[in-house]
Amino acid sequence: MRLFWELTKISFQRHLTYRAATVAGLVTNFFFGILRAAIFVALYDLQTEVEGITLQGAITYAALGQALIGYLCMFSWFELMNTVYTGDIASDLLKPMNYFSFWMAQDLGRAAVNFLLRGIIVMIGYAFIFDLVWPRGAAQIIAVAVSLVLGWLVSFSWRFLINLTSFWTPNARGILRFFFVLSWFFSGFLMPLRFFPEWVLRISYLMPFPHMFNTVIEIYLGVLVGPEMILALLNQVLWILSLILAGQIVLRLGVRRLVILGG
Amino acid sequence: MAIISVRELSKHFKVSKHNRGTMGAVRNLFSRQHTTVRAVDEISFEIQPGELVGYIGPNGAGKSTTIKMLTGLLVPTSGELSVNGLVPWKERQNYVARVGAVFGQRTTLWWDLPVIESLSLLQHIYKIPPGRFEANLKEFRETLELDPFLNTPVRAISLGQRMRADLCAALLHDPDLLFLDEPTIGLDVVAKERIRGFIQKVNRQRGTTVILTTHDLSDVGKLCQRVMIIDHGKLLYDGNLSALKDRFSGKRELVVEFAEEYANPQIASAELTHQDGSRVTYHFSRDTITASELIGGISAQYRIRDLEVREPEIEETIRRIYEERLLERI
Repeated sequence: MRLFWELTKISFQRHLTYRAATVAGLVTNFFFGILRAAIFVALYDLQTEVEGITLQGAITYAALGQALIGYLCMFSWFELMNTVYTGDIASDLLKPMNYFSFWMAQDLGRAAVNFLLRGIIVMIGYAFIFDLVWPRGAAQIIAVAVSLVLGWLVSFSWRFLINLTSFWTPNARGILRFFFVLSWFFSGFLMPLRFFPEWVLRISYLMPFPHMFNTVIEIYLGVLVGPEMILALLNQVLWILSLILAGQIVLRLGVRRLVILGG
Repeated sequence: MAIISVRELSKHFKVSKHNRGTMGAVRNLFSRQHTTVRAVDEISFEIQPGELVGYIGPNGAGKSTTIKMLTGLLVPTSGELSVNGLVPWKERQNYVARVGAVFGQRTTLWWDLPVIESLSLLQHIYKIPPGRFEANLKEFRETLELDPFLNTPVRAISLGQRMRADLCAALLHDPDLLFLDEPTIGLDVVAKERIRGFIQKVNRQRGTTVILTTHDLSDVGKLCQRVMIIDHGKLLYDGNLSALKDRFSGKRELVVEFAEEYANPQIASAELTHQDGSRVTYHFSRDTITASELIGGISAQYRIRDLEVREPEIEETIRRIYEERLLERI
């Protein structure tokens, strides 16, 4: 456990030093967020509510999406894959530590920096421009926090799993890109999943993606409440456990056929 | 009990054959032809605790593949392998806790962290008791002279410094077994000498079993009593280094400085290869004449001022073994 926090701390410090990247990320997230909010204003026109989400809620949704890109690593994550191709994975496998927790600790440090520097700042920025929805009461704040942490866990264990494809193919980048694009749509990142027909919703909930993002958003906006909300949180937990289990099985198979190149 | 026991160990790789040209590339999409490369081919050996063994062979001989199997990074195609009572790839986490490894080509340290932070992270990874960690760190800081760059990030230190830091990292947890893969690669003579001295000290004082692969045969000549030679995936020799020299060394050399210049001072059972005034070089072979017989023979006929017997270099011996295929597989 001590090792876990040490790794988290080191990763946290390392990501804090990426100042230029953080500023660039912030500016982009902010710009595209305003664009997306403008689109909602145009689409809603005179309607006050679509599928239980008000215009104010839709704008908040856009802001949240932009705020969570960094935290959830929505666009890409090739770090584990890169160590397979450079052969640096050899050093990691030569250490008596759990390979999954080794990466998880580092990703936690990364997520924490992105939550603080990109998440919070983006939300504060939007609060100056738009009238946003905020969680009401301690119960909802706690539920949002829990769901956020679970969302990160779904995202991480999924990213870990797909990065393992690099054990099988000499260039997994394309495969990973495909999965990430898939995740934009089915996580509800491009549009709230509620706006789609029932069958799209059904399909997307067969995948891990909504549990990374959509669940967090719906709890935040207050459209998921009571027993439904508890069920959604449990669903997140279930997905985390399944993804971790799948990751362990695939890792075991992969290490057996791993060929470490060089030296 | 042997610390490493290897029986008929093999590792085969499938390498896909690529057809050439555009049509070939299209054909590659539909059918792939494979050829099997026997990187390691049924090798067997045992290593006892406390040994310092040199594992040598030309590029692509199978050295690294063997080391990767021994460290649990590669799964053998066939054969048996037991190190420290464990099967490395099956019980990776338990196994690597008791071994250390240094790969000359890459570092086990964190690239962007100061050396000392990497080392203290290793304390947590190997769960080294604080007292043990402090004592070991203190010792290695002195013997490896780590202090000047202890607070510098790994990416900013020199290759020689990095090797020293890596050696320290590999030994902090008191491993039973140390794997060194090309530990002196790219280092200058002074740095090499320092690393060799350290390896020898660790082996003698701590009793750590050391397996050393190298291209630099002077490493082997200076450090190892036992040497294993691998080529084309097969173990060609396993035994004493001096016995190897005796068996395969080419001609020995006798350089004589005569008191005066003789015209063509030939001598039986030795070959005069070079004459430069009063300085004459003879080549002779161990099988036909001893050095003292030869010197006696020469001094009976000529007046000698000075002489020197040169043993063939280990490099020369090994090169002959590779090139002339002097050894059949054992």
